[in-house]
Amino acid sequence: MLKLWKLERKTGEATVAYPFAPLPVNKDMRGKPVHDAAACVACAACAVACPADAIWMSVDPDAETITWNINYGRCIFCGRCEESCPFEAIRLSQEFELAVTSKADLHDQAVYKIQECSVCGRPFAPRKEVDLARRVLDQVVGSAAAWQRDVLDVCPACRRRLDAQRAKASCDAANAAVLLEAIERDAAQAGGADAAGATDAADGGTSAEGVR
Amino acid sequence: MAEPLDMTERVLPAGLQYQPTPIQLDEKVKAAKAALATSIRRSVYAYRCDLGGCNGCEIEIFGSITPVFDTERFGVKVVPSPRQADVLIYTGAVTRAMRMPGIRAFQAAPDPKIVISYGACGCTGGIFYDNYCVWGGTDKIVPVDVYIPGCPPSPAQTVYGFAVALGLLDQKLHATTDVEKDGEEAPVLHPGVPYRLRVALERTARQMAGYRYGRDLVNEFMDVLEGARYDVMGAVDEFIRRCDDPRRREIFVALRQVVDASVVGDVNDGRR
Repeated sequence: MLKLWKLERKTGEATVAYPFAPLPVNKDMRGKPVHDAAACVACAACAVACPADAIWMSVDPDAETITWNINYGRCIFCGRCEESCPFEAIRLSQEFELAVTSKADLHDQAVYKIQECSVCGRPFAPRKEVDLARRVLDQVVGSAAAWQRDVLDVCPACRRRLDAQRAKASCDAANAAVLLEAIERDAAQAGGADAAGATDAADGGTSAEGVR
Repeated sequence: MAEPLDMTERVLPAGLQYQPTPIQLDEKVKAAKAALATSIRRSVYAYRCDLGGCNGCEIEIFGSITPVFDTERFGVKVVPSPRQADVLIYTGAVTRAMRMPGIRAFQAAPDPKIVISYGACGCTGGIFYDNYCVWGGTDKIVPVDVYIPGCPPSPAQTVYGFAVALGLLDQKLHATTDVEKDGEEAPVLHPGVPYRLRVALERTARQMAGYRYGRDLVNEFMDVLEGARYDVMGAVDEFIRRCDDPRRREIFVALRQVVDASVVGDVNDGRR
Protein backbone atom coordinates (compact mmCIF):
# COMPACT_ATOMS: atom_id res chain seq x y z
CA MET A 1 0.00 0.00 0.00
CA LEU A 2 2.80 2.37 0.92
CA LYS A 3 4.57 1.38 -2.29
CA LEU A 4 1.47 2.31 -4.28
CA TRP A 5 1.27 5.74 -2.64
CA LYS A 6 4.95 6.30 -3.38
CA LEU A 7 4.40 5.33 -7.02
CA GLU A 8 1.38 7.62 -7.26
CA ARG A 9 3.35 10.50 -5.76
CA LYS A 10 6.16 9.91 -8.22
CA THR A 11 3.86 9.75 -11.24
CA GLY A 12 1.97 12.92 -10.40
CA GLU A 13 -1.31 13.88 -12.05
CA ALA A 14 -1.76 12.82 -15.66
CA THR A 15 -5.07 14.62 -16.23
CA VAL A 16 -4.84 18.08 -17.78
CA ALA A 17 -6.58 21.00 -16.08
CA TYR A 18 -8.41 22.02 -19.28
CA PRO A 19 -11.07 23.55 -19.48
CA PHE A 20 -10.40 25.21 -16.08
CA ALA A 21 -6.95 26.33 -17.27
CA PRO A 22 -5.74 27.04 -20.82
CA LEU A 23 -4.36 24.00 -22.57
CA PRO A 24 -0.68 24.31 -23.55
CA VAL A 25 -0.49 23.66 -27.30
CA ASN A 26 2.31 23.40 -29.83
CA LYS A 27 3.05 26.64 -31.66
CA ASP A 28 2.71 24.81 -34.99
CA MET A 29 -0.65 23.29 -34.11
CA ARG A 30 -3.15 23.21 -36.96
CA GLY A 31 -6.05 25.04 -35.42
CA LYS A 32 -8.57 27.49 -36.83
CA PRO A 33 -7.38 29.16 -40.08
CA VAL A 34 -7.20 32.88 -39.30
CA HIS A 35 -7.79 35.18 -42.25
CA ASP A 36 -6.17 38.61 -42.32
CA ALA A 37 -8.70 40.53 -44.40
CA ALA A 38 -6.40 43.56 -44.75
CA ALA A 39 -3.50 41.51 -46.19
CA CYS A 40 -5.73 39.43 -48.47
CA VAL A 41 -6.05 40.45 -52.14
CA ALA A 42 -8.86 37.98 -53.00
CA CYS A 43 -6.65 36.13 -55.50
CA ALA A 44 -8.53 32.87 -54.72
CA ALA A 45 -5.35 30.75 -54.46
CA CYS A 46 -6.63 29.29 -51.18
CA ALA A 47 -10.05 28.58 -52.67
CA VAL A 48 -8.40 26.63 -55.51
CA ALA A 49 -6.10 24.75 -53.11
CA CYS A 50 -8.76 23.85 -50.51
CA PRO A 51 -9.40 20.10 -50.92
CA ALA A 52 -12.63 20.20 -48.91
CA ASP A 53 -14.07 23.32 -50.60
CA ALA A 54 -14.26 24.90 -47.16
CA ILE A 55 -12.98 28.13 -48.74
CA TRP A 56 -14.73 29.47 -51.82
CA MET A 57 -15.14 32.73 -53.69
CA SER A 58 -18.46 34.17 -54.76
CA VAL A 59 -18.86 37.04 -57.20
CA ASP A 60 -21.68 39.56 -57.12
CA PRO A 61 -21.70 41.08 -60.62
CA ASP A 62 -24.27 43.76 -59.73
CA ALA A 63 -22.41 45.14 -56.71
CA GLU A 64 -19.07 44.48 -58.46
CA THR A 65 -17.70 42.67 -55.41
CA ILE A 66 -15.90 39.38 -54.87
CA THR A 67 -16.41 37.63 -51.54
CA TRP A 68 -14.02 35.27 -49.77
CA ASN A 69 -15.93 32.68 -47.74
CA ILE A 70 -14.90 30.01 -45.28
CA ASN A 71 -16.94 27.35 -43.56
CA TYR A 72 -15.03 26.09 -40.51
CA GLY A 73 -17.46 23.19 -40.31
CA ARG A 74 -16.10 21.80 -43.56
CA CYS A 75 -12.44 22.65 -42.94
CA ILE A 76 -10.15 19.64 -42.46
CA PHE A 77 -7.27 21.77 -41.08
CA CYS A 78 -4.76 20.52 -43.67
CA GLY A 79 -3.01 23.89 -44.07
CA ARG A 80 -3.09 23.93 -47.87
CA CYS A 81 -4.60 27.44 -47.83
CA GLU A 82 -1.68 28.68 -45.78
CA GLU A 83 0.80 27.00 -48.14
CA SER A 84 -0.78 28.46 -51.24
CA CYS A 85 -1.27 32.01 -49.94
CA PRO A 86 1.38 34.24 -51.56
CA PHE A 87 0.78 37.13 -49.14
CA GLU A 88 0.63 35.35 -45.77
CA ALA A 89 -2.97 36.44 -45.36
CA ILE A 90 -4.17 33.13 -43.91
CA ARG A 91 -2.49 31.05 -41.26
CA LEU A 92 -3.56 28.12 -39.13
CA SER A 93 -3.62 29.34 -35.53
CA GLN A 94 -3.53 27.64 -32.14
CA GLU A 95 -7.22 28.43 -31.64
CA PHE A 96 -9.14 25.17 -31.29
CA GLU A 97 -12.31 26.10 -29.40
CA LEU A 98 -14.62 26.06 -32.41
CA ALA A 99 -17.79 24.39 -31.13
CA VAL A 100 -20.95 26.40 -31.88
CA THR A 101 -24.65 26.03 -31.28
CA SER A 102 -25.67 27.74 -34.51
CA LYS A 103 -24.33 26.55 -37.84
CA ALA A 104 -24.28 30.09 -39.29
CA ASP A 105 -21.54 31.00 -36.81
CA LEU A 106 -19.16 28.61 -38.57
CA HIS A 107 -19.12 30.93 -41.58
CA ASP A 108 -16.79 33.90 -42.12
CA GLN A 109 -16.56 36.13 -45.15
CA ALA A 110 -14.64 39.12 -46.49
CA VAL A 111 -15.95 41.35 -49.29
CA TYR A 112 -13.61 42.96 -51.84
CA LYS A 113 -14.20 45.40 -54.69
CA ILE A 114 -13.51 44.47 -58.29
CA GLN A 115 -11.43 46.67 -60.62
CA GLU A 116 -13.05 47.87 -63.83
CA CYS A 117 -11.17 47.60 -67.11
CA SER A 118 -9.82 51.00 -68.19
CA VAL A 119 -10.67 50.24 -71.84
CA CYS A 120 -14.05 48.49 -71.89
CA GLY A 121 -15.24 49.30 -68.36
CA ARG A 122 -16.09 45.72 -67.41
CA PRO A 123 -15.04 44.50 -63.93
CA PHE A 124 -12.32 41.85 -64.24
CA ALA A 125 -10.08 41.38 -61.15
CA PRO A 126 -10.03 42.27 -57.44
CA ARG A 127 -8.96 45.89 -56.99
CA LYS A 128 -6.46 45.05 -54.26
CA GLU A 129 -4.81 42.41 -56.43
CA VAL A 130 -4.27 44.91 -59.28
CA ASP A 131 -3.02 47.50 -56.80
CA LEU A 132 -0.52 45.08 -55.26
CA ALA A 133 0.69 43.92 -58.68
CA ARG A 134 1.38 47.56 -59.56
CA ARG A 135 3.47 48.09 -56.45
CA VAL A 136 5.39 44.83 -56.99
CA LEU A 137 6.07 45.74 -60.64
CA ASP A 138 7.41 49.11 -59.48
CA GLN A 139 10.25 47.17 -57.83
CA VAL A 140 11.08 45.26 -61.01
CA VAL A 141 13.08 46.81 -63.83
CA GLY A 142 12.91 45.87 -67.51
CA SER A 143 10.79 46.59 -70.57
CA ALA A 144 8.49 43.58 -70.00
CA ALA A 145 7.63 44.89 -66.54
CA ALA A 146 7.07 48.38 -67.99
CA TRP A 147 4.60 47.03 -70.55
CA GLN A 148 2.88 44.97 -67.82
CA ARG A 149 2.56 48.11 -65.73
CA ASP A 150 1.02 50.01 -68.63
CA VAL A 151 -1.74 47.45 -69.18
CA LEU A 152 -2.29 46.55 -65.52
CA ASP A 153 -5.84 47.81 -65.29
CA VAL A 154 -6.88 46.34 -68.65
CA CYS A 155 -8.98 43.19 -68.74
CA PRO A 156 -7.55 40.05 -70.45
CA ALA A 157 -9.73 40.44 -73.56
CA CYS A 158 -8.76 44.07 -74.07
CA ARG A 159 -5.14 43.24 -73.26
CA ARG A 160 -5.13 40.60 -75.98
CA ARG A 161 -6.39 43.21 -78.43
CA LEU A 162 -3.74 45.71 -77.29
CA ASP A 163 -1.06 43.00 -77.56
CA ALA A 164 -2.17 42.23 -81.11
CA GLN A 165 -2.13 45.90 -82.02
CA ARG A 166 1.32 46.30 -80.51
CA ALA A 167 2.58 43.19 -82.31
CA LYS A 168 1.14 44.47 -85.60
CA ALA A 169 2.72 47.87 -85.12
CA SER A 170 6.12 46.36 -84.35
CA CYS A 171 5.72 43.93 -87.28
CA ASP A 172 4.88 46.81 -89.59
CA ALA A 173 7.84 48.74 -88.27
CA ALA A 174 10.12 45.71 -88.72
CA ASN A 175 8.81 45.09 -92.26
CA ALA A 176 9.30 48.74 -93.10
CA ALA A 177 12.82 48.56 -91.71
CA VAL A 178 13.62 45.43 -93.75
CA LEU A 179 12.16 47.02 -96.86
CA LEU A 180 14.08 50.22 -96.25
CA GLU A 181 17.29 48.24 -95.78
CA ALA A 182 16.74 46.34 -99.03
CA ILE A 183 16.03 49.56 -100.89
CA GLU A 184 19.20 51.14 -99.58
CA ARG A 185 21.28 48.05 -100.36
CA ASP A 186 19.99 47.90 -103.91
CA ALA A 187 20.61 51.59 -104.28
CA ALA A 188 24.21 51.10 -103.14
CA GLN A 189 24.68 48.18 -105.62
CA ALA A 190 23.34 50.23 -108.49
CA GLY A 191 26.22 52.61 -107.91
CA GLY A 192 24.06 55.55 -107.11
CA ALA A 193 23.68 56.63 -110.74
CA ASP A 194 19.92 56.33 -110.78
CA ALA A 195 18.92 55.04 -107.34
CA ALA A 196 15.17 55.33 -107.80
CA GLY A 197 15.20 53.64 -111.19
CA ALA A 198 17.43 50.79 -110.00
CA THR A 199 15.18 50.10 -107.04
CA ASP A 200 12.14 49.93 -109.29
CA ALA A 201 13.95 47.53 -111.59
CA ALA A 202 15.09 45.34 -108.70
CA ASP A 203 11.56 45.23 -107.29
CA GLY A 204 10.16 44.35 -110.70
CA GLY A 205 12.83 41.70 -111.16
CA THR A 206 12.15 39.88 -107.90
CA SER A 207 8.39 39.86 -108.35
CA ALA A 208 8.80 38.62 -111.93
CA GLU A 209 11.01 35.79 -110.69
CA GLY A 210 8.42 34.92 -108.10
CA VAL A 211 5.77 34.57 -110.81
CA ARG A 212 8.02 32.42 -112.96
CA MET B 1 -27.54 36.18 -40.33
CA ALA B 2 -29.12 34.26 -43.17
CA GLU B 3 -27.67 30.85 -43.93
CA PRO B 4 -25.01 31.50 -46.58
CA LEU B 5 -25.36 29.93 -49.98
CA ASP B 6 -23.56 26.65 -49.55
CA MET B 7 -21.12 25.08 -52.00
CA THR B 8 -23.48 22.14 -52.31
CA GLU B 9 -26.24 24.37 -53.60
CA ARG B 10 -23.88 26.16 -55.96
CA VAL B 11 -22.22 23.23 -57.75
CA LEU B 12 -24.49 20.22 -57.34
CA PRO B 13 -27.53 19.82 -59.54
CA ALA B 14 -30.50 19.88 -57.14
CA GLY B 15 -31.67 16.35 -57.97
CA LEU B 16 -28.29 14.61 -57.67
CA GLN B 17 -28.12 14.53 -53.87
CA TYR B 18 -31.18 13.46 -51.92
CA GLN B 19 -32.46 16.21 -49.61
CA PRO B 20 -34.27 14.57 -46.67
CA THR B 21 -36.66 16.40 -44.35
CA PRO B 22 -35.11 16.56 -40.86
CA ILE B 23 -37.09 15.41 -37.83
CA GLN B 24 -38.80 18.37 -36.11
CA LEU B 25 -39.09 18.66 -32.34
CA ASP B 26 -42.53 19.46 -30.92
CA GLU B 27 -43.04 22.37 -28.48
CA LYS B 28 -43.23 20.22 -25.35
CA VAL B 29 -39.89 18.59 -26.06
CA LYS B 30 -38.35 21.98 -26.85
CA ALA B 31 -39.50 23.39 -23.51
CA ALA B 32 -38.20 20.32 -21.66
CA LYS B 33 -34.89 20.67 -23.44
CA ALA B 34 -34.56 24.35 -22.49
CA ALA B 35 -35.22 23.40 -18.86
CA LEU B 36 -32.66 20.62 -19.12
CA ALA B 37 -30.01 22.98 -20.47
CA THR B 38 -30.45 25.48 -17.63
CA SER B 39 -31.14 23.23 -14.65
CA ILE B 40 -29.12 20.14 -15.40
CA ARG B 41 -27.37 19.03 -12.21
CA ARG B 42 -26.36 15.50 -12.96
CA SER B 43 -24.11 13.41 -15.12
CA VAL B 44 -24.87 13.01 -18.81
CA TYR B 45 -24.50 9.78 -20.69
CA ALA B 46 -23.35 9.96 -24.27
CA TYR B 47 -24.11 7.54 -27.06
CA ARG B 48 -21.79 7.52 -30.03
CA CYS B 49 -23.41 6.98 -33.40
CA ASP B 50 -21.21 6.53 -36.47
CA LEU B 51 -23.06 7.36 -39.69
CA GLY B 52 -20.37 6.50 -42.21
CA GLY B 53 -17.28 8.04 -40.67
CA CYS B 54 -13.67 6.96 -41.02
CA ASN B 55 -13.34 6.13 -37.28
CA GLY B 56 -10.96 9.06 -36.76
CA CYS B 57 -13.66 10.81 -34.73
CA GLU B 58 -14.25 7.65 -32.65
CA ILE B 59 -10.56 7.48 -31.81
CA GLU B 60 -10.68 11.08 -30.57
CA ILE B 61 -13.87 10.46 -28.57
CA PHE B 62 -12.16 7.56 -26.84
CA GLY B 63 -9.10 9.76 -26.49
CA SER B 64 -11.19 12.21 -24.51
CA ILE B 65 -12.38 9.57 -22.01
CA THR B 66 -8.80 8.47 -21.28
CA PRO B 67 -7.13 9.65 -18.03
CA VAL B 68 -5.44 12.60 -19.79
CA PHE B 69 -8.66 14.42 -20.64
CA ASP B 70 -10.92 12.35 -18.40
CA THR B 71 -14.40 13.59 -19.28
CA GLU B 72 -15.80 11.44 -16.49
CA ARG B 73 -14.68 14.10 -14.00
CA PHE B 74 -17.56 16.17 -15.47
CA GLY B 75 -19.85 13.16 -15.38
CA VAL B 76 -19.75 12.54 -19.12
CA LYS B 77 -19.77 8.82 -19.76
CA VAL B 78 -19.96 6.91 -23.02
CA VAL B 79 -22.70 4.29 -22.94
CA PRO B 80 -23.38 1.41 -25.34
CA SER B 81 -27.10 1.99 -25.92
CA PRO B 82 -29.13 5.01 -27.07
CA ARG B 83 -31.83 4.06 -24.52
CA GLN B 84 -29.47 5.17 -21.73
CA ALA B 85 -28.27 8.28 -23.50
CA ASP B 86 -28.82 11.98 -22.76
CA VAL B 87 -26.39 13.08 -25.48
CA LEU B 88 -26.17 11.62 -28.96
CA ILE B 89 -22.84 12.15 -30.71
CA TYR B 90 -23.21 11.78 -34.46
CA THR B 91 -20.04 11.29 -36.48
CA GLY B 92 -19.69 10.67 -40.20
CA ALA B 93 -21.20 12.29 -43.27
CA VAL B 94 -24.55 10.39 -43.10
CA THR B 95 -24.33 7.88 -45.90
CA ARG B 96 -27.51 6.61 -47.49
CA ALA B 97 -27.02 3.17 -45.91
CA MET B 98 -26.60 4.59 -42.38
CA ARG B 99 -29.54 7.03 -42.37
CA MET B 100 -31.98 4.58 -40.78
CA PRO B 101 -29.69 3.51 -37.90
CA GLY B 102 -29.12 7.24 -37.24
CA ILE B 103 -32.83 8.03 -37.16
CA ARG B 104 -33.56 4.91 -35.04
CA ALA B 105 -30.91 5.90 -32.50
CA PHE B 106 -32.52 9.35 -32.28
CA GLN B 107 -35.96 7.83 -31.76
CA ALA B 108 -34.65 5.31 -29.22
CA ALA B 109 -33.06 7.93 -26.97
CA PRO B 110 -35.46 9.33 -24.36
CA ASP B 111 -36.53 13.00 -24.64
CA PRO B 112 -35.18 15.55 -23.85
CA LYS B 113 -31.84 14.79 -25.44
CA ILE B 114 -28.92 16.80 -26.76
CA VAL B 115 -27.62 16.05 -30.25
CA ILE B 116 -23.99 16.80 -31.05
CA SER B 117 -22.75 16.86 -34.63
CA TYR B 118 -19.14 15.75 -34.38
CA GLY B 119 -16.32 16.39 -36.87
CA ALA B 120 -16.22 18.04 -40.27
CA CYS B 121 -18.31 15.24 -41.81
CA GLY B 122 -20.97 15.45 -39.15
CA CYS B 123 -21.17 19.25 -39.38
CA THR B 124 -21.41 19.69 -43.15
CA GLY B 125 -20.44 16.47 -44.88
CA GLY B 126 -16.76 17.45 -44.80
CA ILE B 127 -14.74 16.46 -47.85
CA PHE B 128 -17.57 14.11 -48.87
CA TYR B 129 -20.18 16.88 -49.00
CA ASP B 130 -20.87 16.50 -52.74
CA ASN B 131 -20.82 12.71 -52.88
CA TYR B 132 -23.89 11.17 -54.49
CA CYS B 133 -24.42 8.61 -51.70
CA VAL B 134 -23.88 11.04 -48.83
CA TRP B 135 -26.55 13.25 -47.33
CA GLY B 136 -24.05 15.81 -46.11
CA GLY B 137 -24.26 16.31 -42.34
CA THR B 138 -26.25 15.22 -39.33
CA ASP B 139 -28.60 18.22 -39.47
CA LYS B 140 -30.07 16.88 -42.70
CA ILE B 141 -31.85 14.13 -40.72
CA VAL B 142 -32.07 15.18 -37.03
CA PRO B 143 -32.17 18.54 -35.18
CA VAL B 144 -28.62 19.35 -33.97
CA ASP B 145 -27.79 21.39 -30.84
CA VAL B 146 -24.01 21.70 -31.01
CA TYR B 147 -21.57 21.45 -33.89
CA ILE B 148 -17.98 20.45 -33.08
CA PRO B 149 -15.85 21.00 -36.20
CA GLY B 150 -12.46 19.38 -36.70
CA CYS B 151 -11.05 16.58 -38.78
CA PRO B 152 -11.08 14.96 -36.31
CA PRO B 153 -11.74 17.26 -33.32
CA SER B 154 -9.00 16.80 -30.72
CA PRO B 155 -9.98 15.61 -27.22
CA ALA B 156 -9.64 19.22 -25.98
CA GLN B 157 -12.07 20.36 -28.69
CA THR B 158 -14.40 17.57 -27.62
CA VAL B 159 -14.26 18.64 -23.98
CA TYR B 160 -14.97 22.23 -25.04
CA GLY B 161 -17.83 21.08 -27.26
CA PHE B 162 -19.42 19.21 -24.35
CA ALA B 163 -19.00 22.25 -22.14
CA VAL B 164 -20.86 24.33 -24.77
CA ALA B 165 -23.52 21.64 -25.13
CA LEU B 166 -24.13 21.55 -21.36
CA GLY B 167 -24.18 25.35 -21.11
CA LEU B 168 -21.00 25.55 -19.01
CA LEU B 169 -19.01 27.65 -21.49
CA ASP B 170 -20.07 30.14 -24.16
CA GLN B 171 -19.16 29.65 -27.78
CA LYS B 172 -16.24 31.75 -28.99
CA LEU B 173 -16.82 31.65 -32.73
CA HIS B 174 -19.22 34.13 -34.33
CA ALA B 175 -19.98 34.78 -37.98
CA THR B 176 -18.06 37.80 -39.27
CA THR B 177 -18.17 39.84 -42.45
CA ASP B 178 -15.17 41.99 -43.34
CA VAL B 179 -15.75 44.67 -45.96
CA GLU B 180 -12.84 46.21 -47.84
CA LYS B 181 -12.20 49.78 -46.68
CA ASP B 182 -11.60 52.62 -49.12
CA GLY B 183 -7.98 52.77 -50.23
CA GLU B 184 -7.07 49.59 -48.35
CA GLU B 185 -3.69 48.30 -49.54
CA ALA B 186 -2.23 44.84 -49.07
CA PRO B 187 1.37 45.22 -47.87
CA VAL B 188 4.27 44.13 -50.11
CA LEU B 189 6.17 41.67 -47.93
CA HIS B 190 9.83 42.51 -47.28
CA PRO B 191 10.02 45.54 -49.60
CA GLY B 192 13.66 46.07 -48.59
CA VAL B 193 14.79 42.90 -50.36
CA PRO B 194 14.93 43.15 -54.19
CA TYR B 195 12.04 41.28 -55.80
CA ARG B 196 14.02 38.67 -57.76
CA LEU B 197 16.29 37.93 -54.79
CA ARG B 198 13.22 37.54 -52.57
CA VAL B 199 11.69 35.02 -55.00
CA ALA B 200 14.98 33.07 -55.17
CA LEU B 201 15.29 33.01 -51.37
CA GLU B 202 11.70 31.93 -50.84
CA ARG B 203 12.03 29.18 -53.41
CA THR B 204 15.22 27.80 -51.84
CA ALA B 205 13.72 27.86 -48.35
CA ARG B 206 10.56 26.10 -49.55
CA GLN B 207 12.57 23.41 -51.30
CA MET B 208 14.57 22.72 -48.17
CA ALA B 209 12.02 23.07 -45.39
CA GLY B 210 8.56 22.90 -46.95
CA TYR B 211 5.98 25.65 -47.21
CA ARG B 212 5.21 26.61 -43.63
CA TYR B 213 8.62 26.20 -41.99
CA GLY B 214 10.39 27.40 -45.13
CA ARG B 215 8.35 30.59 -45.01
CA ASP B 216 9.07 31.09 -41.31
CA LEU B 217 12.80 30.59 -41.87
CA VAL B 218 13.04 32.82 -44.94
CA ASN B 219 11.11 35.56 -43.14
CA GLU B 220 13.61 35.37 -40.28
CA PHE B 221 16.48 35.53 -42.79
CA MET B 222 15.01 38.46 -44.74
CA ASP B 223 14.40 40.35 -41.48
CA VAL B 224 18.16 40.10 -40.90
CA LEU B 225 18.87 41.30 -44.47
CA GLU B 226 16.54 44.27 -44.03
CA GLY B 227 17.77 45.03 -40.53
CA ALA B 228 21.43 45.22 -41.52
CA ARG B 229 22.50 48.84 -41.89
CA TYR B 230 25.92 48.71 -43.58
CA ASP B 231 27.49 45.26 -43.63
CA VAL B 232 24.72 42.96 -44.86
CA MET B 233 26.84 39.84 -45.30
CA GLY B 234 28.47 40.45 -41.92
CA ALA B 235 25.05 40.57 -40.28
CA VAL B 236 24.04 37.37 -42.05
CA ASP B 237 27.24 35.63 -40.93
CA GLU B 238 26.68 36.77 -37.37
CA PHE B 239 23.09 35.50 -37.54
CA ILE B 240 24.25 32.10 -38.83
CA ARG B 241 26.96 31.91 -36.15
CA ARG B 242 24.39 32.54 -33.40
CA CYS B 243 22.12 29.79 -34.77
CA ASP B 244 22.39 26.65 -32.57
CA ASP B 245 20.20 24.25 -34.50
CA PRO B 246 22.28 22.53 -37.25
CA ARG B 247 19.16 21.99 -39.38
CA ARG B 248 18.28 25.66 -39.36
CA ARG B 249 21.91 26.59 -39.88
CA GLU B 250 22.11 24.43 -43.02
CA ILE B 251 19.12 26.23 -44.53
CA PHE B 252 20.44 29.67 -43.59
CA VAL B 253 23.81 28.82 -45.18
CA ALA B 254 21.99 27.82 -48.38
CA LEU B 255 20.08 31.12 -48.30
CA ARG B 256 23.34 32.97 -47.78
CA GLN B 257 24.70 31.30 -50.92
CA VAL B 258 21.67 32.57 -52.84
CA VAL B 259 22.43 36.09 -51.64
CA ASP B 260 26.10 35.58 -52.54
CA ALA B 261 25.17 34.52 -56.05
CA SER B 262 23.00 37.60 -56.46
CA VAL B 263 25.79 39.92 -55.28
CA VAL B 264 28.69 38.28 -57.12
CA GLY B 265 26.94 36.94 -60.20
CA ASP B 266 23.46 37.30 -61.54
CA VAL B 267 20.65 35.80 -59.50
CA ASN B 268 18.56 35.44 -62.64
CA ASP B 269 20.98 33.00 -64.25
CA GLY B 270 19.27 29.65 -64.36
CA ARG B 271 16.89 30.62 -61.54
CA ARG B 272 14.22 32.42 -63.44
